[in-house]
Amino acid sequence: MNFGKTKLELKVGIFVFIGLTILVVFVLSIGGFRTWSSGYRIELVFNFINGVKIGAPVRFAGVDVGEVEKIDLKFEPDKNHTEVHLKAWISDKVHIPPDSQVLINTLGLLGEKYVEIIPGENYAAALKEGQYLAGIDPIPTHEIFRRVDNIMNNLDTGITRIIDKQGTLGKLLYDDTVYNELEAFVTDVRKNPWKLLVRTREKN
Amino acid sequence: MFSLFLAKLGRKVISFIYFFGGLSSLTAQTVYQTFKPPYKYDHIIEQAKKAGYDSLPIVSVVALFIGFIFALQFGYFMQRIGSEMYIASLVALAIVRELGPVITALIVAGRVGAANTAELGSMQVTEQIDALETLATNPVKYLVVPRFVALSIMMPLLVLFANIIGIFGSYLICVFKLGITSSMYVNMTFSALLYKDLFTGLFKSWIFGMVIALVSCYEGFKVEGGAVGVGKATTSSVVFSFLMIIAADCFFTALFYFIFP
Repeated sequence: MNFGKTKLELKVGIFVFIGLTILVVFVLSIGGFRTWSSGYRIELVFNFINGVKIGAPVRFAGVDVGEVEKIDLKFEPDKNHTEVHLKAWISDKVHIPPDSQVLINTLGLLGEKYVEIIPGENYAAALKEGQYLAGIDPIPTHEIFRRVDNIMNNLDTGITRIIDKQGTLGKLLYDDTVYNELEAFVTDVRKNPWKLLVRTREKN
Repeated sequence: MFSLFLAKLGRKVISFIYFFGGLSSLTAQTVYQTFKPPYKYDHIIEQAKKAGYDSLPIVSVVALFIGFIFALQFGYFMQRIGSEMYIASLVALAIVRELGPVITALIVAGRVGAANTAELGSMQVTEQIDALETLATNPVKYLVVPRFVALSIMMPLLVLFANIIGIFGSYLICVFKLGITSSMYVNMTFSALLYKDLFTGLFKSWIFGMVIALVSCYEGFKVEGGAVGVGKATTSSVVFSFLMIIAADCFFTALFYFIFP
């Protein structure tokens, strides 16, 4: 084998090797922390999940510790009711007490949904593979809008009444009787400060 | 006058159909010859060095500049709406999905494709290709297959280099100029990317590699009439390669948009 040719092969070999290394780096980095650590799966049960998607992060005490792996609808004929089962992958290092609160929360700017677990206290009975945890249902967006609408309506009625000079607040703001009386009183007291010191005779 | 115009149009269309017919026939022969033993590893490695290793410096420099440019251009708008941290995600997606494959393909088409056409064209002009046939050597097997295999393997690898260097260029701008922390940048980059982003990009680059090899070899084989012909063929090889790369890119981007939503 002559020297020139092995050098050629060496160059191509280095090129291909570094290229494949970059590929491996990309693949592992995109896979995220799941590629590095092992974990277990628990099921979270909700009645309504407000659009959580597969791959949504699961946060325990505000830290990303896993992700939603599967979403199933389960119809319970005896209860005549449909439940949503979220299968969540949780990192091995994390122990979740069964009295934790499970919520669905919205992430910042883009409004992405994620599962929030607020730690409970019963660490002795921490959840194991395949165990269930009941979630607290999020309030649907339309429900929030309905409530806000309600509040706005009430406020609106109140403000309309004030503008229409009805009620105590309306009268206080728009009726100048109180103001005139106060002004007259202050003027009077300035002119005759002795009036403050005199005990007026009680009227019968 | 009008009939002259129609005749010209007809000639264009016919030559276009000829072009595609010839290209398809060359493609079929090349694929057939690629899988038919014996395999010539030496030639493939030589072409792999020319296409991959030797293209690396220019691809790296261009990818680095593309990274700089896109960090600054996205930064211009993202700073206005106060979400600089999404620059990392945007640049990563833009480079891995689109810019890495396309820019690399355009550079390789200009560098390697043109060289292929010129090389095969001068061989055609000096009748070396006819000589090969008289020696019972299949010119497609001997000349096209090594280039085809080398480019189709080297393009995805070059694109991986371009991706990582482009992201690094944008990292430099974001961390040292736009005030994003280093770990935040890396985190936002890889949380935005999905496997499909990386692999659709690499798939496209594989297609581009094959397109470049086939178009440049076809143009090389087609040369007629001396040095002038070689020059013309080189020009049209680069032009057609660019055109077909962009067209294939458009097609596959649309396809992946619908099949991997």
